[in-house]
Parts: sequence; C-alpha cells; structure tokens
Amino acid sequence: MRDLNRRQFVCRSSAVAAGVATGLGTPTMAQAAANRWGDLVGRIVYDGTPPPRKRLVVDKDVACCGKFDIRDESLMVGPDGGLANVFVYVRSRRVDICPELEQSVEKRVTLDNRDCIFMPHCMTIWCEKQEYYIVNSDPVAQNVAYAPRGDIAANIVIPVGGDATWRFRLAQRTPVAIVCNYHPWESGYILPFGSPYAAITGKDGTFRIPKLPVGKLEFQAWHERTEYLDTPEWPKGRFEVTIKPEGTTLPTVKLAPAIFEKDAVF
Amino acid sequence: MSAFRRIGAERRAAGRVGTPLSVPVVPIAQAFLLCAAIGCVGCTASDLPPFRLNTEGRDPEALTGTQTEAIEDALQTLFGTPEEPAAPPEAGLRLDPLMRAAGPIRGDAEGNQRGLYRQHCAICHGISGDGAGSLAAVMYPYPRDFRNGVYKYTSTAGGAMPVRDDLDRIVRRGMPGTSMPSFATLPEEQIEALVEYLRYLGLRGETELFLFQLVVDEDEYVVDLDEVLDDGLQPAVDLWAEAGRAVVAAVEPASETPQQRRASAARGYELFSSKNAQCVACHGPEGKGDGEQAGTLADDWNRRKKGATPEQTKELARRFRLPLQPLWPRNFTQGIFHGGSQPIDLYWRIHVGIQGTPMPAGGPAPGASGVLTPEEIWHVVHYIRSRAGIDDK
Repeated sequence: MRDLNRRQFVCRSSAVAAGVATGLGTPTMAQAAANRWGDLVGRIVYDGTPPPRKRLVVDKDVACCGKFDIRDESLMVGPDGGLANVFVYVRSRRVDICPELEQSVEKRVTLDNRDCIFMPHCMTIWCEKQEYYIVNSDPVAQNVAYAPRGDIAANIVIPVGGDATWRFRLAQRTPVAIVCNYHPWESGYILPFGSPYAAITGKDGTFRIPKLPVGKLEFQAWHERTEYLDTPEWPKGRFEVTIKPEGTTLPTVKLAPAIFEKDAVF
Repeated sequence: MSAFRRIGAERRAAGRVGTPLSVPVVPIAQAFLLCAAIGCVGCTASDLPPFRLNTEGRDPEALTGTQTEAIEDALQTLFGTPEEPAAPPEAGLRLDPLMRAAGPIRGDAEGNQRGLYRQHCAICHGISGDGAGSLAAVMYPYPRDFRNGVYKYTSTAGGAMPVRDDLDRIVRRGMPGTSMPSFATLPEEQIEALVEYLRYLGLRGETELFLFQLVVDEDEYVVDLDEVLDDGLQPAVDLWAEAGRAVVAAVEPASETPQQRRASAARGYELFSSKNAQCVACHGPEGKGDGEQAGTLADDWNRRKKGATPEQTKELARRFRLPLQPLWPRNFTQGIFHGGSQPIDLYWRIHVGIQGTPMPAGGPAPGASGVLTPEEIWHVVHYIRSRAGIDDK
C-alpha cells in the first residue's frame, strides 16, 4: 500500500475487486467483491422556517440579467425542510475506490452560465478523472473565477455561446468559491476532490455516496453559510459511519436555524 | 511540551531539509549603525523581528499556543528565520542569492552587500513579505503580499505562475503609478538575489497556508513534515516549475504607416466596446476607468473585507492588517499602467489578465478559446496606447 495523504484517495484494488471489474474470477470472488462496497444515504433538514430568499441586486448587464428573478442561493430549503447544497464527503485517509466507479465516472462536470447565475450552484469534481467544462448559455459574456489553494487560479471570460475546459490538479479539503467578476451576485462552489466519494444534498436534503468501502469511515459536512457544518453531534462537521455492504442510512439530521446565521462577511 | 514532531534534525541529517544558511558575524559597531538605520536603535542582529504568522482573515486570538507553536516550528524547520533562512531541497531555491538577500543589512568580508530585502523591500512589503511593512498603510495600491503565491503581472497564460523574468522586470522597472520604485541601478546579482528571495517568501507563504489548514482547520497538532512538503510545498513548486511552458510569446505586428496604426486603433476600439470582451464594464466606454463596475471592485487581498457594516469594521481590523482598499480600473487617458505601458506589457495584460484581480484573461489559453485572438489583442493595445497618448509611431 502506498502511503497516501488524505486528499489522494487512490484505488488500491485488491485482486478480488480487479477480478470483478474485468469479468474474471470465480463466483466466490465476485461475491466477496460485492460485499466490499456499500452506499451511504442520508438527509439533512433545516429545522425551522427558513427566511425568505433575498432578491439580489442586479445592476450590471441589466438589459439581459435584469429580467430574471435572481435570489440568494446561500440557504436553499425545500418545502419539507430539506437543506440543499450541503457537501458531504469522505474525510478518512487511504480509502479504497471501487473499480466500477473509475469506469463509470462521467468524463466531465459542467458548469453553465444560465439566466445570469451559475448552474448548478454547487458541484464536486474528481480531479484525476474529470474535466471542468464551462459553458455560457446567456446572451452576454460571462466570467468564471476561482483560486484554489496550491492550484492554478482561473479567471476566464466565456464569450456568448463559448466554452472552456479546465482541470483541477490538486484535491482540496473544502469547496472553492466561484465568482463572476462581471456580475457580483453570481456565486458557486466546487469541491475538487481526490475520489468519487463526495456528494451534495439535493433539493429534498438527501444525498447518496455510492460504493464506499465497507467499514468505519469519517465524513465531512460543509455548507457555504457555516463552512464546516459544526453541530453538537458533528463537531466541525465531522462524523463517523460504519458502511455496510447492504447500504447504510443515516438518521435524518436536523439542523438548528441559528447555526446558519453566521455573519456574511466572515 | 510541544506537540510538534521534531523531526527536522533527522531530516536535515538525511539531506531533505536544507541547512540554515550561515550569516557572517557583524561587528558590534556596524550592527548598531545598521540597526539605527532601519529604525531599531540599540538592537542587535539577533533581535531582528521574526516572521509574523499569516493570520490574515482569521481571528488571531482564537489560535491556541499549541497551534501557533506547531506552525511556527514546522516553518522554522523548513525555511529558517529572516536572519538565517533555510530551504528544503524540494523548493528548488538557489541558496547563494537567497543568502545575499536575507538577514540584516551588512557587508561581508568580500565586500558584498547583504540583507538586500531588508534594505530595499521590507519597509513596504514587511519582513514576512506580508505587504504590511511600516509604510504600507499609506500606499495605494498596498504593497504586494507575497505569501499567497499570487503575482499580478505575468506573461503566462492559463493562470500560470510568473516566470523569473516577470519578477525581474517588475524589480527593475518598478510599477509606474504606484509606490514601487525602479531598482534598475542595482547590480545584476543583487536583483537576482531579490527575485530569488521573493520566490522564497512565496513558497514559504504557501506552505504556511497549508499548515494553517492542517493545524487549525483540521486539528492536526502533530505535524508530519513529509506531508507538509508533499502537500503544502510541492504543489507550489510544481506550479513555478511549469510556468515557463505557459509564457505567451508575442511580437507586435509591424504597422507601416500612421494610417494603418490608426485603423488598428479604431478596430481596437470596436473590440474594446464589444459585449463579448466586456472591457467597458470596468474601464468605461471611453477607457476612463468609469465603467459600471468601478467602485465595486477589490483584488483577492481585499475581497474578503468587502461588505462590512460599520459594526463589523472593528472585527475587520482584528482579522486583517490593512483596511479595505478598493480597486479602480485603469483610466487609460492618464497614460499610467502599473504593469508597464510598452506594447508587449499591455498585450500581456489583456491576454493573460492580471492575477488576483477581476481583470480576466481575454486571450486564448489551453482549454479556453478566449474572447480575443492575438491579432485582436494587438488592435486593443493600439487603441489603449492611442487613448493614453503614448502611441509613438
């Protein structure tokens, strides 16, 4: 086993797993391999009445962007309290990666500039395997800028109908902010990660991280309002789970509104 | 007892961490005079201020003694002190020029001037390279904080680091319209030493950022120097090493006649005004720096200070060394360009952007077509120079 750091979760495929991936091996080996991986699912809920989403000041390229109802996306709560845009990812070091995920991973992650916002607002990317594909569906030029620690910063103009393909070379421990220097209201986050084991909660607050190695793993939860999603149960947003081959479901996590009232400046 | 794993001595013995650079002994009288010259009368060389921790944007009072000690110990083991710098072999820094730039101001037995950084740079850029020297607060723009490894004026595409020539150019020429003077009169080897020291401060600073993340954010008090080197320093070293491949080589196309030059400038104005290029948003329709974005911009060093309410200003002062300084787009008609006004300087500004600022890269880069072709960028250069009244052809 290579001595790897936390951000470089690499595949340490055992002979069993490799056998399954290539269609080789005996049924016993295949069964053993199938028992090596399990999903983690969970749901995160905002336990209260969310504040109305503020309408953002749209005072640039008004002819185009002014026609959209652009609102704050920093706290997205669904009708039944589900909290969207929470990053949940493996924090443990030296985590095996299921070979199936390496084969099935999408070639690229796409960010669209559409209706004068970033779509999607949050995303993860597996640095080694995926490209960051940026497009512009708006009738005005857009800008995408971010500066990950230890990696190349981007400050790209995306012309109308244009695109760009970027790469992240260094996995990060926390998501990286994306801004548009033309339209200050636009914001987004991306987590360049060293494995596929990173997820984002959807509109209903649920998330799924598929095919994790079974056994005890530590996870990190992060949200743009709180950064580390620090709760009494999850100090600094960290929690441990034992992944089982049949899958593991976390109890619904209810978060007090007070933790999201962090000062926007800091 | 420190929780820091003191493995620096073993690493030095194994040859992975550089030996601290020796500093010539300074006679007492000379040391006194030099100290007086830099404003610390009565101090000795050993009293020189240490590197200051980079708590920028953080609550310094939230740092525990253990965290502080862990970060400082690791940094000192790897990079030494302002008086006795060290450099891990991985950093690829050349020790001789580094030694000339570092330490107290003095002459050595061979008659070489030493302590060049302190002599020429520290009063603005600070001993730590934090851009918060004793004169910094009254300057616009603030002196560069080198510790993030971000340098505004580069010739490299795709967000790449600068090459040595980029730093050399700024040191020699200074930055017109700022407090950064030209050091062109310094001997060649002194400029070389200063450039190397700037790289040292940048690599040290990026390693420090990683250490803060490791120790403060990730609660790892036992610092493994191998991890720091591999994950903190090495990515930064790699970026520096790759910068040479990203240099945008360009030769200004010859314009034979004034009419051709004027036609080029006119075409440049069209491109400048186009919605795709978005130049007007900041620089205004006539290049006077009065676009709709003017007054709202900040560079990366100031961005996090934006939006503070009056009640938050006190908190800002605890977390940042210098108050918010807005960034103003260049007014071409003033004819002053911080990164230089030669055609190639302006070409690079448009092509690769200005790092750490909202000025984006307009030219092509690997993976991005850009909004302007090289030929179009030259037209815009000619327009800008014509607006500045410095088109001398």
